[in-house]
Amino acid sequence: MEDFKIQTQKLNAWFGNNHALKDISLGIRQNQVTAIIGPSGCGKSTLIRCLNRMHELVPGARSSGSVLLDGANIYSRGIDPVTVRRRVGMVFQKANPFPTMSVYDNVAAGLKLNGVRNPDTLDEAVKRSLEQAFLWDEVRDDLDNSGASLSGGQQQRLCIARALAVEPEAILMDEPCSALDPIATAKIEQLITNLKEKYTVVIVTHNMQQAARVSDVTAFLYLGQLIEYGGTTSLFENPKEELTERYLTGKFG
Amino acid sequence: MDLGLERLRNMVLDMAKLSQNTVSTAIDAYVQGRDLRERIYGWSEELRMLQDEVSELAIELIARYQPVASDLRFIKSCMEVAYGFSRFGRYAHDISDVLGIFGDLSSCDRAAIQEAGAQAKQMILVSIKAFTARDVQLASQLKKMDDVVDNIYLDFVKKSAQVPEGNLKCFVSGTLILRYLERIADHATYVGETVLYIVSGERAARK
Repeated sequence: MEDFKIQTQKLNAWFGNNHALKDISLGIRQNQVTAIIGPSGCGKSTLIRCLNRMHELVPGARSSGSVLLDGANIYSRGIDPVTVRRRVGMVFQKANPFPTMSVYDNVAAGLKLNGVRNPDTLDEAVKRSLEQAFLWDEVRDDLDNSGASLSGGQQQRLCIARALAVEPEAILMDEPCSALDPIATAKIEQLITNLKEKYTVVIVTHNMQQAARVSDVTAFLYLGQLIEYGGTTSLFENPKEELTERYLTGKFG
Repeated sequence: MDLGLERLRNMVLDMAKLSQNTVSTAIDAYVQGRDLRERIYGWSEELRMLQDEVSELAIELIARYQPVASDLRFIKSCMEVAYGFSRFGRYAHDISDVLGIFGDLSSCDRAAIQEAGAQAKQMILVSIKAFTARDVQLASQLKKMDDVVDNIYLDFVKKSAQVPEGNLKCFVSGTLILRYLERIADHATYVGETVLYIVSGERAARK
């Protein structure tokens, strides 16, 4: 059996009576970028929210099946969802730095919540995380400024630094560039490519060209079902499923 | 995007017609002993310019629309096919040049060239039909047809080598023309291979 960092098995998800994900079984490899594409409402965001147990935070939401992280089901009894979310971080569509906190505190917040108090340890983690997020050189002299004072692209990278600070194993990104200009987008895409050396990355994107640029593997979802899953180059050049072909070439409907 | 693809298709089909006519004229001119070098050179230059235009439009479509899947495969194939048609023009010009190099060749036995020429012309026709209709079945016939041209060429070379006292002018000119026809047949086969790629994404194995 292949060794996956994250693996879903017959994963189903609901919002009330709305069956949002139907029997999704897919394996996500370590140190790869996996892109999830599909039309609006196909279940992309729901899928990644199931990968770190954020789906259950929505009132009326539930799921069945399993999500294995390093082979262990994160939905098993006794598993702490907070620990899961520390191991599998999330970056959202809209940059959401804590507005009342400084750049430094935004990055250090997760560590402080986890009980880290040593100033040297915090300094080191903040610097390392900002460097990994390609932001250190731009904010090193303004660490005390509000996180909200940064540009949109910088705020998104700050959120990525915040996610990296707690040293997760995987990072989930839900349309991280949809609100950014092309320059900020290019920086985030470069960052994603670098991050995979250390982390497992899953990105949801509406931008097919972005998926083609940054990902190693792509999954195509439609109406809550996994239609096709495979190497990005192969899927974009020669999709096996007619539905994928029609979606990619804009011939839906 | 769809308009661009249609335009690209029409440009490639224009090239197809012109390249078919160019090769056909070159072969007929050789058989009839007519010197049509200038006319054929003009057409081959036109094909080369059309190939540049196809490449430019293909790159523009890729840059503007970033196509994927069958659209991307079609654009890539149009560039390959346009190159093939441009080569048809070049080889037709080379064939017409042989008369200029060797002068009168009316005493030479032209049976092999006529046979290979007819086969190459038929292959161009089949490749264009298959490409236009995206007909994989029709395209698959081209490999066998190519073998016929290959064999005529090899037989001619072998036979000529066995007859040292034969007419050297006829041997060299015949070998050159058959070699050009053999290359034309190869490119017609490659055009056929793109049909399989466009339709299924698979690349045909080459000899």
